[in-house]
Amino acid sequence: MAKGEYLGEFEHIVLLTVLRLGDGAYGAMIRAEIEHVTGRSAAIGAVHATLERLERKRLVASWIGEPTAERGGKAKRHFKIEADGISALKNARKTLERLNAGVSLRNVLA
Amino acid sequence: MKPPAIAQALIAAAAPSRDYEIVAGDLHEEYLRIAHLRGATAANRWYWAQTLLSIPSLLSYARSNRSVLQRVCVALIAFGVLVALLGVLTVIEVIAQAIFGRASESACWVWLCINYTDAIVFGAILARLVRTDGLRVTFFAALFLVLCFVVPAVAGNPSSQAPLAAWIQLFGAIPAMCTGAAISQIVGRRTGNIS
Repeated sequence: MAKGEYLGEFEHIVLLTVLRLGDGAYGAMIRAEIEHVTGRSAAIGAVHATLERLERKRLVASWIGEPTAERGGKAKRHFKIEADGISALKNARKTLERLNAGVSLRNVLA
Repeated sequence: MKPPAIAQALIAAAAPSRDYEIVAGDLHEEYLRIAHLRGATAANRWYWAQTLLSIPSLLSYARSNRSVLQRVCVALIAFGVLVALLGVLTVIEVIAQAIFGRASESACWVWLCINYTDAIVFGAILARLVRTDGLRVTFFAALFLVLCFVVPAVAGNPSSQAPLAAWIQLFGAIPAMCTGAAISQIVGRRTGNIS
């Protein structure tokens, strides 16, 4: 796998969050879910920049929704994970499982 | 209830025009939720924090979607921020010089603090601009700057300071710049600006 094909740490988190939330997830929802699950305060700009990168890699797809009053009359961009996104997550999980195999953290941390 | 106007203007300036409405809408939605739960002051503080932390990502995001004019504006804004920062540091140096005087031995620690602050800020900015391998790039940039520009200047004018203090100060600038770069990377990772 070439270097550019690996998921960065934050890309991995965002992609998993889109998968967790299901079709129709959008920026604010993804940001809030990341904060809720990981305890990590993500910047909305970083979330959108990462989603744009994932879309360019064809790992997610997006579409524009209708403007709503609670957003000051502004539209949402909804996201859903693509088949390539699922494959990228499977690859990342397999890689981590291979790296973790046979490694005991108990002795290292003692 | 409306978000702070200046913060909104900053988002409008930094976000690609195609996606401004999306980003601003997301911020607006969360702003109203926080204002409802924790009050307007907390919501304004949250909006400002999100704006300032989002600017680096928004400036670097979807560069290909920007027009030539927008790219020139972004470059000018980035250059202006750098010049303003250096200007502030220079003013601090001038004020310190007026208060303590250059030759005073007791002012040595003040100069050391000012110069290292310069180095930390410069390292942080450089690492944030580079984004990938920021710490390594900053280390080599600091080494290059010290060896090629500062060492010849100090060596050519040894009477300006006690030689040992000058050399310590010089090479201390390298870890100081790397410290700035490391802080910038840690903050960038925590906020998701650097993946």
